Amino acid sequence: MPEYRRGRGLSQQALADLLGVSRQTVISIEKGRYDPSLPLAFRLAAVFECRIEDLFVADE
Amino acid sequence: MTQLTQRSTWGRSRFGGGSAALIIGSAVIGLGLAVGAGALFAFLAYPHARILALSVFSAGLFPVLTAACWALAVGRSTLRSAPRDPEQSIESRWYDSAAQGAFHDLLVAAGLATAIFAVLNVEAPVSLVLGAVLLLTMLSFAVRYLWLKRAEG
Repeated sequence: MPEYRRGRGLSQQALADLLGVSRQTVISIEKGRYDPSLPLAFRLAAVFECRIEDLFVADE
Repeated sequence: MTQLTQRSTWGRSRFGGGSAALIIGSAVIGLGLAVGAGALFAFLAYPHARILALSVFSAGLFPVLTAACWALAVGRSTLRSAPRDPEQSIESRWYDSAAQGAFHDLLVAAGLATAIFAVLNVEAPVSLVLGAVLLLTMLSFAVRYLWLKRAEG
């Protein structure tokens, strides 16, 4: 996800503002410590214009 | 046409007015409530030292009630640091997990304390016991929240 964000020229705070969540949420998602809810995952995919599967990989 | 909401550190009142009006209004109402509650406590609990009790209670309650008034009056969308959708933020999950853990701690502590008090036939003032329960719950919540923040932040 950080690559997608940097590719769009967004800071963590700017992405958090777009998503309507705290910056800490973006940090934790990028570190893989927080699995976002489905609505938030859809919002992320919409921001980056990709599919959810492109951003997140299910744990085996 | 897009309506822009002006955001600030302390926000604006949902009833209108700027940050200064919100802060001053909260302080005035907080002071009134603090003095009122302080007078009630002083007259009911400390009739022999009313002025001292009134001063101590009012001074202790003033910041808490002012903050409570501010929290009730401020419009969330006018706060600079408030996310638009807090339920989707990780802090919301930390809060839920910490509250859940604190509730379980409270159940265990209350159960154990009840058993010990009953077996040993110990008697304690209700205000002391409830104060201890409140402190324990707050402490449990704070430790759990900080732990989660450290682990997942």
